[in-house]
Amino acid sequence: MRLLVVEDDPDVGENLVASLREAGFVVELATDGKDAWFRGDTEDYAAVVLDLGLPQLDGLSVLKRWRREGRDFPVLVLTARGDWTEKVEGINAGADDYMVKPFAMGELVARIRGLLRRAAGHGSPTVTVGRLTIHTGQQRAVVGDADIRLSPLEYRFLELLIHQPDRVMSVPAIAEHLYGTAGQGDTNAIEALVTRLRRKIGPDIVETRRGLGYALAGATP
Amino acid sequence: MRRRSLRIRLLANAAAATLVALGLAGTGITFLFSRHIERREAVSLTAKAQELLTTLRLDPDGRPVVAQRPSDSRYAKPASGLYWQVSAPTGSLHSRSLWDQSLPRPKQAIATEWTLRRTAGPFGHGLLILERVVRPDTTNRVVLVQFATDDEALKTARSEFEREIALSLALLWLVLVAAAYVQVMLGLYPLRRVGRELDRLLRNPAARLSSDHPQEVQPLTAAINALADARAADLDRARKRAGDLAHGLKTPLAAMAAQSHRARQAGAIEAADGLDRVIASASATLEAELARARAAAVRIAGTDKAAYIAQVVDDLVAVIERTAKGEQIVFQVDLPESFRVPVSTGDLTEMVGALLENAVKFATRRVGITGITDGLASILCIGDDGPGLPEGRSDDALIRGGRLDEAGQGHGFGLAIVHDLVAATEGTIDLGVSPLGGLAVSLRWPTGGRDIERAQTYAND
Repeated sequence: MRLLVVEDDPDVGENLVASLREAGFVVELATDGKDAWFRGDTEDYAAVVLDLGLPQLDGLSVLKRWRREGRDFPVLVLTARGDWTEKVEGINAGADDYMVKPFAMGELVARIRGLLRRAAGHGSPTVTVGRLTIHTGQQRAVVGDADIRLSPLEYRFLELLIHQPDRVMSVPAIAEHLYGTAGQGDTNAIEALVTRLRRKIGPDIVETRRGLGYALAGATP
Repeated sequence: MRRRSLRIRLLANAAAATLVALGLAGTGITFLFSRHIERREAVSLTAKAQELLTTLRLDPDGRPVVAQRPSDSRYAKPASGLYWQVSAPTGSLHSRSLWDQSLPRPKQAIATEWTLRRTAGPFGHGLLILERVVRPDTTNRVVLVQFATDDEALKTARSEFEREIALSLALLWLVLVAAAYVQVMLGLYPLRRVGRELDRLLRNPAARLSSDHPQEVQPLTAAINALADARAADLDRARKRAGDLAHGLKTPLAAMAAQSHRARQAGAIEAADGLDRVIASASATLEAELARARAAAVRIAGTDKAAYIAQVVDDLVAVIERTAKGEQIVFQVDLPESFRVPVSTGDLTEMVGALLENAVKFATRRVGITGITDGLASILCIGDDGPGLPEGRSDDALIRGGRLDEAGQGHGFGLAIVHDLVAATEGTIDLGVSPLGGLAVSLRWPTGGRDIERAQTYAND
């Protein structure tokens, strides 16, 4: 798998490249914003590690350009500031994860693997049931014309329902799928999740089947 | 301190000055009064003397003779206080009231005009004597004519007048002191206003003294404002330098972390552990300094903006949902559309970010974010369904230490910034039990304050 590392500090950059290569990736290094943008725009990478403080073109602008041009590889942002405003800016610009410097190399490798797992996801890039379409790679939902940003939990919930269009999913089954284990408080948590999801995608796509669980609109009882 | 009171000093000066002025006025008036009554007495004596002079003549031996004595009965009563005496070189004549006494002769040559003098007289009385020499006939023989009155009555009249005038002037003094008090209070009012505005400036360094002070006070307020601006600029520069320094150190620290990683791979585990400890400690210090610098900036710059909390929370939740723990959590957001707090978006982002991160760390399934405005305060509450605070832990100590650690493990610096920023924006922070079962952290900003008013104005724009 080919990764792009964008880091202007030679020590950090070299170490990132060495660690990721050791972890089995094919790694390229870019040391300024313009080079990074050009490479990301013209070549395919499985994921990108992007430092925000770059010479020539700052990391946030590079990321925005990529996203504007439809480059949807997962991007892990490295930031020196580590304040929430910058994290929000990074995520709003299209980053998939962030790490604050100084970071542990082992954790970075684990996060990259997590991003790649999420992105790899499913064979089918989109699944549609009724008005709801799910882009499995990007964890996005489209309802009608509206593009909706989903949290991983919301995405996994919808993914569960959309792949079982003919079934009503019980709360324990949903909890098992979402958390791996079913436990106390799951009913409330899933109710809260559905409430939040309905605010995003509209009230009528996920239906409550009293005493049974949840199903997508149009599913058979 | 009272000695330094401008009000007391002005009042004391005004009271002393009016006291001296009224004292002088009283003395002057008394002097004029006694001169006036002396003149009246002189006129009265002159009239009596003229009555006697019309019948005064000298007998052939040169002794004075009067055909008609003054009619006032007091001249006939011994030691009555009213006397006359006519003296010629060869004999003299006097009122019966003098009895066997005589009026003292003048030491100097006497004029042919009436003159008035005071002297000690018979019977131990002080006397006011009106006297002159006359030539009753053509022989050029002179006669000294003296009319005298006891000055006891004059003294009594004068002392009565003095008492009355003193009383009147004392009353006048009180009225003048009261007027001075009113004047001082009115005059010093602008300074009291400056004092109040300075208090405000002390509480909120972004405040400035208003520009509509009287022109005498204007240079002072302008100087204070300039000083406050200069201080804010200095602090801002220092804060920026501290921030730049901290950011500048982050990348070298990352490089050190990289070296540590290499060392570990090369088998130098101990060296790598040592390096990691140093890096962790330096990072924590840097973060704490950045948080402090940020809170200081808020204190200097004030909070002119009201954050749209719902947007801030949505953005932060989107960030936290990407973390390993955050993606397991459902965020229950209940923020009314109109809910605002008097904090800028950037500062609120830092506070809520740190609190959400903390809540997520300890939550089992859910984190709740609610906003209430109860008329007295805007309250933002972040709660979770985690284990909550252990019994008997001091809220305040936990907040101040920046360790809102429900499970007992250190939580690092993230919450120090919450404490600092809440304090810098004149809010308070409380820990309690969340309806979800875990810890609830409530941030409370009083409404009705200037900042909230400004915040609402901003929100309405």
